[in-house]
Amino acid sequence: MSDSQNGSAGQTRRRVTAHTMAAQQREISVSEFFTKNKHLLGFDNPRKALLTTVKEAVDNSLDACEEAGIVPEIWVKISEVQPGRYRVSVQDNGPGIVKKQIPLIFGKLLYGSKFHRLRMSRGQQGIGISAAGMNGWITTGVPVKIISKTGPDKPAHYFEIQINTQLNRPEIRNGSGEGVDIPPGEKGLRYMEEHGIEWVAHYDVEEPGQPPVELASGTRVTIELAAKYQRGRGSVDEYIELTAIANPHVTIHYEDPEGQRRTYRRATTQLPPEPKEIKPHPYGVELGTLVTMLSRSKEKTLRQFLTQSFSRVTPSAAKEICQKAKLSIRAVPRELRSDAAEALYRAIQETRLKAPATDCVAPIGEELLLKGLRQVLPGEFYCAATRPPAVYRGNPFIIEVALAYGGGGTVEKITLELLRELLAQTDARTLRQFLLTTFDGVGPDAVERILKEARFGSRQVPSKLKPRDVERLYEAMKNVNVSESQTIQILRFANRVPLQFKQRDCAITEAVINTNWRTYGLNQSRGSLPTGPVSLMVHVASVWVPFTSESKEAIASYPEIQRELRLALQAVGRKLGLYLNRRKRVQLEGQRRNIFLRYLGEVADAVSQINGSDRQQLYEQLLKVAKRKTSDADLKFDERGRTLDPAEFGDHVVVVESSPEELFTDSRAAG
Amino acid sequence: MAKRKSRTLEKAETAAVLSDSDRRTLQALHELAQKVVQSAAVGRSPYLDIPSRTLSNVRFNKTKRIIEMGSGTSRRELFNLSQAKAYMQTLLVASGAKRLIEQGKTTSLRGLYYMLKHTIKGTSEETFDDQSESDSMIEDVEVLLNALREELHLYAKTQGVMVGPITIIDNGDEIDCSRMGSGGYGIPSIVEPDRIQFRDCKAEFVLHVEKDTVWQRFNEDKFWLKHNCILTHGGGQPPRGVRRLLYRLHYELGLPIYCVLDNDPWGYYIYSVIKQGSINLAYESKRMAIPEVRFLGLRSSDFERCGLSPSVQIKLSEQDIKRAKQIANYPWFANKRAWQKEIELMLKNGFKLEVEALISKDISYVTEEYVPSRLAEGDFLD
Repeated sequence: MSDSQNGSAGQTRRRVTAHTMAAQQREISVSEFFTKNKHLLGFDNPRKALLTTVKEAVDNSLDACEEAGIVPEIWVKISEVQPGRYRVSVQDNGPGIVKKQIPLIFGKLLYGSKFHRLRMSRGQQGIGISAAGMNGWITTGVPVKIISKTGPDKPAHYFEIQINTQLNRPEIRNGSGEGVDIPPGEKGLRYMEEHGIEWVAHYDVEEPGQPPVELASGTRVTIELAAKYQRGRGSVDEYIELTAIANPHVTIHYEDPEGQRRTYRRATTQLPPEPKEIKPHPYGVELGTLVTMLSRSKEKTLRQFLTQSFSRVTPSAAKEICQKAKLSIRAVPRELRSDAAEALYRAIQETRLKAPATDCVAPIGEELLLKGLRQVLPGEFYCAATRPPAVYRGNPFIIEVALAYGGGGTVEKITLELLRELLAQTDARTLRQFLLTTFDGVGPDAVERILKEARFGSRQVPSKLKPRDVERLYEAMKNVNVSESQTIQILRFANRVPLQFKQRDCAITEAVINTNWRTYGLNQSRGSLPTGPVSLMVHVASVWVPFTSESKEAIASYPEIQRELRLALQAVGRKLGLYLNRRKRVQLEGQRRNIFLRYLGEVADAVSQINGSDRQQLYEQLLKVAKRKTSDADLKFDERGRTLDPAEFGDHVVVVESSPEELFTDSRAAG
Repeated sequence: MAKRKSRTLEKAETAAVLSDSDRRTLQALHELAQKVVQSAAVGRSPYLDIPSRTLSNVRFNKTKRIIEMGSGTSRRELFNLSQAKAYMQTLLVASGAKRLIEQGKTTSLRGLYYMLKHTIKGTSEETFDDQSESDSMIEDVEVLLNALREELHLYAKTQGVMVGPITIIDNGDEIDCSRMGSGGYGIPSIVEPDRIQFRDCKAEFVLHVEKDTVWQRFNEDKFWLKHNCILTHGGGQPPRGVRRLLYRLHYELGLPIYCVLDNDPWGYYIYSVIKQGSINLAYESKRMAIPEVRFLGLRSSDFERCGLSPSVQIKLSEQDIKRAKQIANYPWFANKRAWQKEIELMLKNGFKLEVEALISKDISYVTEEYVPSRLAEGDFLD
């Protein structure tokens, strides 16, 4: 058998030799690798490239500001340079970057301060902003422009940078390879104006008559790239809005390609607490990592190694681990062989260790969650819950959930102009697909009803709609009550960064689906998201958020994370259920009274006709009885006109005041 | 606006002469309204205790052999979600009746429906959605006030027809019922003695048939002339006017009443209504039910006895079977062996027969053969 195999192998022609293969084997530059794998970083299509570019820049800015203890203010401007090509500028009021570092940060992939430490931050790998710059350079040939200022009297450094993708090295294009220093004050501003360099020098004047306050420091990055701007789900607009929700301490000025300016004002000036840096917890370390750590260790004994490289390993715990691994506590870590490392790894798993310190994770907090949500989403009921910290694989994390009930979805908010625009931009093949993909919280069911109301076939092509058809569609979208049948909107966040794609693959979505929302008064079919006018915000904060892929769009489903998600969702669900229950009762009682009131006049008329009694007096007496009989409807509308007493729901709940009449009209529309 | 107008009209026409029964009804109406005022004044929810018109609240009086209404009532409250509208409607009907009585006018059930139908102020809701709603409220007011429909100045549409050797005075007009051509005299809804008086009756009995087709046959063949009888029909379930007239013919003129009805559960029930009164109008039995009425045909045995062709059979439906068993269990049928046998036989046959089936034998078979021989033999069910 083996003979014949050898024989046949010997007869086949050799195609390559080890030498020729060796000639082709060379180091692949990181930049080159990512050029070929752009999808890993979120640059797979022009629409997403625009979003990712904005996102990376804004995330970096926010991290920088918070680290420096500055209340962040961000300016985002997108302009269309020519069809299919956009310029993205993002400026912050952060600490600025020292001159030497600028080319490295923006022009070298995998250069950064975040990868090597365990600490809660938005970005993790440090490939984001340089990859965005590289993508811009590759698609347009226009270098990345950076201007950064570190203090009020310091000069601003101005660089135009491109990445040498072969060598993963920045190349500076201006100031003969050295960049340009722009002096502070008027002179510098004039220089910038002459050279077409954009820079926001002053904050908005908040009260008229006051002198504008100058930005002491900050960084502005401008990237030109091949892109496509489109509103709707997964858009830059959505990202900015979501960021404002999860970061109530940030003010964002946003100017979109059509020149529309929006400002999301901060709801608080209180910065989130500064997250602490921690050493890894032994439970979260994989064998390979452990081997590497051992080989690089400088400690003289194994006990020292264990207590100093990890958190929560006390000398006695280290001793216990060594005993279980049958290793001496005085063994030299560097010299441990791989089977010893494996024994050590197993011993660690078997030893009971204290859970890692959790103060390294900073939640947004219920108070601010509610503020952020209210600032951006209209609604009638808000509640929030922050779970105590928990641990998965040795990494501490915190789950937070906030919920907004009521308020119109995007379908109701839409204007005719915006609809026309959206229809012109869409590349959806059918109207059905357009409605499904453009608007939040519109499920197939709602789409069917809109199409039916507007008398369109489901295969109607959006681009072929006549002006009158668009008006009809608009009317239908206004008329159809999608709020009851719309699927709830899930706003996902990881370390305050919105996750806008791959909702289906995300642990958060899974947890929402697995929660029984029927108990809390929402409709839900088996195995799908509940329906109702609900926006659910879920935030996962951790020193190391487990994403399912490099593009950081979905959170991996660890059992510990699932558990915490479930508990948090149930906490807000219970409060929602309580509110909906009360609301329903008030409504019912109100409807009851309405029915009585409706007939009282007729009864009074009939009686006074029969016996000639005083109609008005009789009517008023009957009215009094009616009111007493339906007194429940009043109980909940106290003197301040509030429908319900928020105190009944426990902490972290906001009930927006609404008059009983509104509730009635509401219920009539629904019925 | 409309209301104020009607009120001034009312005043202008209250001059109408009131009869004793009118005064009695007005008094009852007044008391009804007074109760509402009283409960409102003390802050209580006004209610009406309406005698219930259901099978559970009727009783078969074995000595009088009629259905009587029990003492059961059902309460209708203003401040009860499911009753509020009905309460309002009941009072509307009462106020409508009051207006009619004061103005000395009568109107049809449909007329009252239109009189009271309007949109409730401040809503898009109508006081009555269709006539069946107001009709049922009228019956409620009747039992509530213990007043008859005609005492409320209301009448139903004319449905039955009469012909025969009798002269009557209807509202002052003398009518000879033997000279009514092919149409017959339409029996009005109100046939009370103050409206209709009997004169010159030569008839010896009354033959009541179910429907118009059969009645036409008898009239064309001048059956009533040959047999010297009054011929009536009630258009299916006989309306109150027809029943009341039959009652008066029987008790005032001593005429025996014979029925020719279909051989099916529906026909049985019509007979039962004429004989013992209806469940729905049990309170009217004492002035409408005629326990001495006789059922002449059609009988379950007639298919064989008359040698009918099988094509006239109509298969009993599920519902027919159910209904037949129900009727057999009514207390007023339960103790009649002949009737139990009759119903049993029909169920055994598995088919029903309409009176028209006899026409298949010969066009005038029913008038010349069937009824005369039944009468001669004295073969009928009690």
